[in-house]
Amino acid sequence: MYRRLLFIGSALLLVVILFAWQQSSRAPKPISLTPTLSGQPEYCLTCHADLPEISKSHPLQTFGCVSCHGGERLALNADLAHSNMRGGANPSDLSVVEMSCGGTSCHSGSEAENRDHIQRVMTSVQSTYAGAIANIRFTFGAQPDLNAYFGINAIKDEQTHTGITALSAFEPATETNSMIQKFGENCLTCHINAAPREEEAYARQTGCAACHATEQHKLTTAIPYTQCNACHNRGNYDLRSMTFVERADQPATRIQDYYQPIAQFTRCEYTLDCVDCHTRNEVMGDGDIHANQKDIQYVQCQTCHGTINQLPQTKTITGPNDIALKMEFLNPVSNLKVGDTILVTEKGEPLWNTRVLPNGTYELIGKATNLRFNFRPVMGTACEQKPDQQGSQYCHTCHAVER
Amino acid sequence: MRPSFFHHLHPPTIPAAQSRWRYTLGAGGTAIFLALILTITGALEMFYYIPTPDQAAISIQTITYFVPFGALLRNLHFWAAQLFIIVSAVHLVRVVFTGAYIPPRRFNYLLGLALFVISILLNFTGYILRWDQGIQWALVVGTNLIKTIPFIGDSLYQALIGGTQPGSATLIRFYAWHIFGLMLPAAFLVGWHAFRVRREGGIALPPPTLRTDSERITRNELVRREILAMLFTGSALLVLSIFTPAPIAPPIIEMSPLSGEVRAPWFFLWVQQMLKWGDPFFWGVLIPVIILIILILIPYIFPRPAESELGRWFPKSSGLAQVTLAIIAVAIIVLTLLALIPIK
Repeated sequence: MYRRLLFIGSALLLVVILFAWQQSSRAPKPISLTPTLSGQPEYCLTCHADLPEISKSHPLQTFGCVSCHGGERLALNADLAHSNMRGGANPSDLSVVEMSCGGTSCHSGSEAENRDHIQRVMTSVQSTYAGAIANIRFTFGAQPDLNAYFGINAIKDEQTHTGITALSAFEPATETNSMIQKFGENCLTCHINAAPREEEAYARQTGCAACHATEQHKLTTAIPYTQCNACHNRGNYDLRSMTFVERADQPATRIQDYYQPIAQFTRCEYTLDCVDCHTRNEVMGDGDIHANQKDIQYVQCQTCHGTINQLPQTKTITGPNDIALKMEFLNPVSNLKVGDTILVTEKGEPLWNTRVLPNGTYELIGKATNLRFNFRPVMGTACEQKPDQQGSQYCHTCHAVER
Repeated sequence: MRPSFFHHLHPPTIPAAQSRWRYTLGAGGTAIFLALILTITGALEMFYYIPTPDQAAISIQTITYFVPFGALLRNLHFWAAQLFIIVSAVHLVRVVFTGAYIPPRRFNYLLGLALFVISILLNFTGYILRWDQGIQWALVVGTNLIKTIPFIGDSLYQALIGGTQPGSATLIRFYAWHIFGLMLPAAFLVGWHAFRVRREGGIALPPPTLRTDSERITRNELVRREILAMLFTGSALLVLSIFTPAPIAPPIIEMSPLSGEVRAPWFFLWVQQMLKWGDPFFWGVLIPVIILIILILIPYIFPRPAESELGRWFPKSSGLAQVTLAIIAVAIIVLTLLALIPIK
């Protein structure tokens, strides 16, 4: 009897060993990558080889995955590999952005080198939501004026140019007015680090990726208006019920989809994308804490078109280190070169996707569409605008199109 | 057949009753087999393991993911170690429940207990060698217990930890204890323990004049049975290793009892549960030591079975010792289960 049991036992062990062998050899073949930045091998590509490169400025061979995403670089087990990841799948979430995207050589360097992206975003109205909070608190009697005292998070700005040195963290639960509490519950889904509302139309990520990630695992500066629309054009907040009211229509064309709150607008406004006119300081902040959107947004029709008395401001690119060239490098639509003359804003920000043409007209190339637009200055035309009426609403009196 | 070296490790013949599964459960022999597996797999792991705080967890990831059959090797080492504790406990329970500890085997009972304590320490030091987020709670809380011992606590802590808090000195010390400081005495004690089993007439039976069963088996038969046990134990071990990987966690970022997994290794869960009740010295040190002392005293203070009662389970005259051990065993099992209930 023992002979038979020994045979069965040996056969069993043999089967188990063969099975163990097969299991061990079935594991995927590890794919190694040693990015030049870290010099340490990582094996994320074993499973994630199908992801597109995040952007031309972050080449895979240089950055790899771990320097931005964190995680366990050697682990071939999904649970362990994904533990310690910064911000889950999104390392640009503002709670971790300094660790993922920061550093003096990256995106939290000096202002002079234009590497202070994170500081600017942290203090921008898109992150602080300071204007909306101040308005609501003023409206419902919680503060005596419209000054900004609160932001989504507490922040400081020691070298302020706006007079606002700090914002305290807005805590709706401590407010005594129920409408302000309700505002806190229902209306804080838009600031850049808030989780978006659930429907697909509002889908976006948080932090840098809220604007810059238009597709999965792609970062871009060619941001189409649809990306901005995820927050800015999906409906309105009803101040009486303090709830969000979704827009009811189903916009099918670009003109129907154009920014709803503006009743009157011109052709260029809906044919261009938001980023074609609005500069990075307006959108990402200029490093100072601002009280509301109006304090930071300044580009108007006249920025590109000038007035009846004045041509728009221009500048000629003199050297290869010009910021305009660096920005064009990230999204090369206009083939900008040293010697080219471009439009600049009233605050001196380059409109790097424009060019002054020899015949005195101007050209703008759509950052997201690559379309070319030719346009003229106001000066020398039959425009009847008054010199002290330069807001866009005055231009729209004549130059509006019907939606 | 000429007896081989392995046959010669056994007596030419033994009473058949000494090798019946339903009497011995084969626990002692299985423990020795597992110890062999542990020595071999452990030695192989040493080719890759690096006992420094920043490399330990990384080197274990290397073994697990990149060394051919490394994951299997590590899982075998892990499961053999856990089974060793279980099988040793079963062996202890068998010895007490059959009254086998009476003289002349009283001293060997103590050797066995010492081996059991060492095997728990080996398991704990091996667990600490992971040096990842899964172990830091147990390391910090477990070693802090030492500090609560009056008079010698602080010095003992310093000696074991190599500083005022766990660090690289701790890891190298635990490494040295695991592969040398505990392994060497364990190997010696296994030899001594086995030698004394044979010297004292093999596994406990009534004296020859009182035996009812005179059947004997040869060493060939004994070796066959041992091989059979090894084949089945080995298969079970492999199956466990294939389907249930040994735990692994991210490297330690900051040594703190609050990050990572807040749970002791399974064989200390009963102590962790008692720590919730109050004074850490009383519940965490004194009670386990008292339990150990009770186990040591079992052959000395409780009524002993008569020699004629040996060779079978639950001899009546040593009922008190059996009840005492049963109470301890049930208490430990219940406390362990309580500790497994997730904290809400």
